[in-house]
Amino acid sequence: MDPIYLDHAATTPLADEVREAMLPYLGAAWGNPSSVHRRGIAAREAVDRARAQVARAVGAEPRNVIFTSGGTEANNLALFGLMRGPRPRGGGLWVGPTEHASVRAAADALEQEGFDVERGELRPSGEVDLDALDAALTPDTRLVAQMLVSNEFGSIYPTSCIAALLKARDSGAHLHVDAIQALGKLPLSLEELGADSVALSAHKVNGPQGVGALVCARELPLHPLLHGGGQEGGRRSGTENVAGIVGFGVAAERADRAQAATLRHLGALRAQLLSGLEGLQAVDCLAPGDHEQQQPGILSLRVAGAPAEVWLHHLDASGVVCSVGSACQANKKEISPVLLAAGLSPEEARQVLRLSLGGDNTLEEIERACVAIHDVSRELARL
Amino acid sequence: MKPTTPSSLTAAPEMIVVRYGELGLKGKNRRQFEDVLVRNIKAAAHRFTGVKVHRKRGRLFVMAEDRLLDLARRLQDVPGIKSVSPAWGARNTIESIGEVAEQVVHDALQSLPAGEERTFRVRTTRAHKGFPLRSIDVDRAIADRVLPDTTGLRVAMRDADLELGIDIRRSRTYLFLQRMPGPGGLPVGTLGRVMCLLSGGIDSPVAAYMAMKRGARVYYVTFHSYPYIGEASKKKVVDLVRHLARFQPSSRLYVIPFTEIQTAIRDNAPEAYRTVLYRRFMQRIATRLGKRNKCKALLTGECLAQVASQTIENITCIEAAADLPVLRPLITFDKEETILVARRIGTMDISSQPEPDCCTVFMPDKPIIHGHVADCETAEEALDCAGLVQRALEGFERYDIESDV
Repeated sequence: MDPIYLDHAATTPLADEVREAMLPYLGAAWGNPSSVHRRGIAAREAVDRARAQVARAVGAEPRNVIFTSGGTEANNLALFGLMRGPRPRGGGLWVGPTEHASVRAAADALEQEGFDVERGELRPSGEVDLDALDAALTPDTRLVAQMLVSNEFGSIYPTSCIAALLKARDSGAHLHVDAIQALGKLPLSLEELGADSVALSAHKVNGPQGVGALVCARELPLHPLLHGGGQEGGRRSGTENVAGIVGFGVAAERADRAQAATLRHLGALRAQLLSGLEGLQAVDCLAPGDHEQQQPGILSLRVAGAPAEVWLHHLDASGVVCSVGSACQANKKEISPVLLAAGLSPEEARQVLRLSLGGDNTLEEIERACVAIHDVSRELARL
Repeated sequence: MKPTTPSSLTAAPEMIVVRYGELGLKGKNRRQFEDVLVRNIKAAAHRFTGVKVHRKRGRLFVMAEDRLLDLARRLQDVPGIKSVSPAWGARNTIESIGEVAEQVVHDALQSLPAGEERTFRVRTTRAHKGFPLRSIDVDRAIADRVLPDTTGLRVAMRDADLELGIDIRRSRTYLFLQRMPGPGGLPVGTLGRVMCLLSGGIDSPVAAYMAMKRGARVYYVTFHSYPYIGEASKKKVVDLVRHLARFQPSSRLYVIPFTEIQTAIRDNAPEAYRTVLYRRFMQRIATRLGKRNKCKALLTGECLAQVASQTIENITCIEAAADLPVLRPLITFDKEETILVARRIGTMDISSQPEPDCCTVFMPDKPIIHGHVADCETAEEALDCAGLVQRALEGFERYDIESDV
């Protein structure tokens, strides 16, 4: 039997539709979008089509889409691009309490360069502490980074409230939103989010790895990370990853088209999973914050009897694929700082297993996964 | 201001001089040693094009079509080689030799920190006795040519910083300067085979390297307790073997499923004896695999008193289950000494990845420190030892691993 893949927050399978769209650009339709001959123009045409598709998925203008090598570069470009500049401008930034490593580490690096960095806090209820943000804001705060959906808990954070707060305080700070785990699951509109920019990644929505985008609400004075031939309007040099970008375009459009249905489907899967685990003492669903405010595809479970990693291998052996913390961190065997920020002790954080559901999962799979979790729980109770 | 001359040589080296040989190797042994070394050099150089090896009076000359400096570095990993030197060719005239000598010395000086005075000597050997000048005359002529044009260089007949070797042969003369150290020791394959019990730790890869350096061809076995231990731990061991494969031509690794044995020990044996009993089973399985592969001994990274299972009593308990001699090259090493070697040979980075190995599974709170063989045997009466060993052996995975360099 095929393994049941419950690690969609790490990566997702490439959709057939996406692969079909990419194939010509890995074959006969090759070309450099900067070339002025017909082959080049055809490639540029393909990139621009994808640019419009990605723009539509978040309600932006195509010219404000900057393709990158993925979500990490999109977040880095937002933070470094806005804070740095040809002339040192100084100032500060505020980063949310549960940000992905690509935001946290970029902020750490900016701090080393001499910028003032404030880090947000979670309330015991699991919400972002907006009062603390309010108190941290200064006239020098130039950037606020707050993710929309936590890659570890699936919690949805109210970026529009942050936008409103910034407005009420007459702050000129830019609001950057990491929307990587939201694309295709929640309706996305830069306007409604109150975001000045969002980071997106293709491979979380059945697109290819190695491509993402920073999408801005308007033309921004971004200082590029990569200097060179001036592609992407001078904001991201380097010959475009044409096939990857084409795939991203189709994947973004596909995810956006199916968004409402996906959200309903994930909700049903989650309900099934939670009811299947009900009464299982060794497993406890962690959902900091209001349950209404949840991207239903991501669940963190606290497991007992053995470290989450041993659970992971046992589940893997019985055909259920999931992760501990986030995949990027799992590699390093460090404790997720996000789990610590959520008030877990290091000991408790090592007991957290993440299941992330995708549109391709079925109710029948969830039922089987629950059986496997029950079996593993019995097996590990003997340790 | 005078423009600085580019530091790269106009000519690439033409061949590599390989020095080898332990004192006391003579006659038939020496021939066999050379045969094996030549074979190992060819295997190590298989990614290079047009490799040829010539034997010349106690040295080897290795030629290749290109990338000779890369090849020289590659040969530094071949046990049995004492040192290698890239060599530049010149025509058999004193003018041509002088010209190349000048270039080679200038380049070497540019790659060293400036400002310090260096000592220099020339050492010529003439295989071609028809050359009009005697060796000592060539030494003088070349020193006279190189020294006046070079600042910061003076002659020293002993321990010179730069020793320019000149080897005059019938058709061509070779010049070389750098001696890049090799591992020394004996070529892999001159001693026979050993079966190494490899974990993902720091010690066992170093033990494997030490054995290779003494001429042993190393086979590997590792024990994998999936799903208590993840696939990443297995990959780590595979990565270690692939890295160690740069010291011997291709390597074989057996991965043995160990969960059933560990579970049986957990459920049926005294807790304190778990680790010692795990290791006794490892010895039994390694012995069987070793004999199957014509290995003459087992090899471990054991070190006295490093962990609880490594007291003399426990080592005695563990060894009692082996039916081959057990080699323990690190037995009296300090951890620092082992780490030093691990860093030098490049296994440290892989070993320090934080992946657990099967010894951490069901670890007892209070492991036995001074075990008794009789107690091990009593404990094992509750286990179906033969069946457990048999099933573990049947579940083997075999990897034949080539170096990726």
